[in-house]
Amino acid sequence: MTDVTATKTLDVRGKICPYPDMDTMTTLKKMEKGEVLEVLLDYPLSVERIPRNLKKQKHKLLESEKLDGPDHRMLIEAYGLK
Amino acid sequence: MDPVLTGLIVGIAFGFVLQRGRFCMNSAFRDVVLLKDYTLLKSVGAALLLLLAGYAIMDSTGMISLNPKPLTWGANLLGSFIFGVGMVIAGGCASGITYRVGEGMVGAITAVLGLSVAGYLTAAGFLADFKTNLQTDTKILTADGGNLTLANALGIDHLVLALIIFAVAVVIWFVLARKNGESDVWGATEGTLVEKIFKSGWGWLTTGLLIGVVGLFAFPLSAAAGRNYPLGITAGWIGIVKKVLDFSNPDVALGWLSWVIIGIILGSLIAALIAGEFKFRVPKVGVLVQTFIGGCLMGFGAVTSGGCNIGHLLSGVPQLSLGSILAGLSIIAGAWLTAYLMFVRPQKG
Repeated sequence: MTDVTATKTLDVRGKICPYPDMDTMTTLKKMEKGEVLEVLLDYPLSVERIPRNLKKQKHKLLESEKLDGPDHRMLIEAYGLK
Repeated sequence: MDPVLTGLIVGIAFGFVLQRGRFCMNSAFRDVVLLKDYTLLKSVGAALLLLLAGYAIMDSTGMISLNPKPLTWGANLLGSFIFGVGMVIAGGCASGITYRVGEGMVGAITAVLGLSVAGYLTAAGFLADFKTNLQTDTKILTADGGNLTLANALGIDHLVLALIIFAVAVVIWFVLARKNGESDVWGATEGTLVEKIFKSGWGWLTTGLLIGVVGLFAFPLSAAAGRNYPLGITAGWIGIVKKVLDFSNPDVALGWLSWVIIGIILGSLIAALIAGEFKFRVPKVGVLVQTFIGGCLMGFGAVTSGGCNIGHLLSGVPQLSLGSILAGLSIIAGAWLTAYLMFVRPQKG
């Protein structure tokens, strides 16, 4: 656990492919540079795909923490595309 | 060997690889337009190349006898296009929604339900006449009544053509990979081998090659069970529907492909439990309706076209069937159009 506080939390647990990725990307797009998004997700494919695609948009993955079962918590710093 | 046993074993291996590799052709094609992510597309390519060369060699040594699907261009174009539309709406291809049942995703269960019911109605229900007429009216055979393949259409020996395509593709691929400097093609670089297999996600090349290996084993085992064709999904589900509808009738038995389906769910369940990725995930009711409708389109499309993404793309394209190649392209066209309308365009507005 890092001591970063999230500006916003996005819960995409239970969502089907590709909504976890799409929701994360569109939310980040609307955030200011340096703001931190907390994403809660439980879809294994997206847990691996989101970090790959963050790089392309220059957002920064601060942390990806495994919770219970397939649940994950990601902290992402927005690059500021707004 | 007992067909129940070989079907289950092939299915469990397939389900395990699908779950660990997150292999899904819906993601593979859709992500190209949506996220510019080519990872799973490369897995599909690797699997197809291995199967192309493997089946050609196995056929020439007499281990298997190639059995390409016929070209029924109208049915291939229409059915597979609708299948491609359906899989984007359902959130997974035929194999994708099947393995996710084993992960506990309820949205995948409703999708599979749609696929099975609509598939059954198109194969044996009120839509059967439409499908049969379209297939018959648009069927083109070779001069001596055989099924058209890229090899016999061009008049080149199948083995020679398969090996040429394989060699050219592999060379191009190596050049491209060198240029892009890829490193994580096999998967995680840290951890023990057990962790790499059972816990962390696999690299695209590992996934693609292992999907191919399952396909190579599937062909002779399926043929030994009296079904001379490699993997499929939709027909296996329809077989399960037929058994459910006529459960007490001992004459209606589950075929080899239906045992593969049961195996896929078991294999995926085992993989998900070991990785700690099993969980009942229930989306909103609207999403369940959405995946059911998507599944219905997939079932209708697959049976009309004579195969889903596995029957046509994974099993038929490596046999160079012209019908399967056309179906594959049509699936991709349907998926791209739907991905654009559902996800890309709304973002621009």
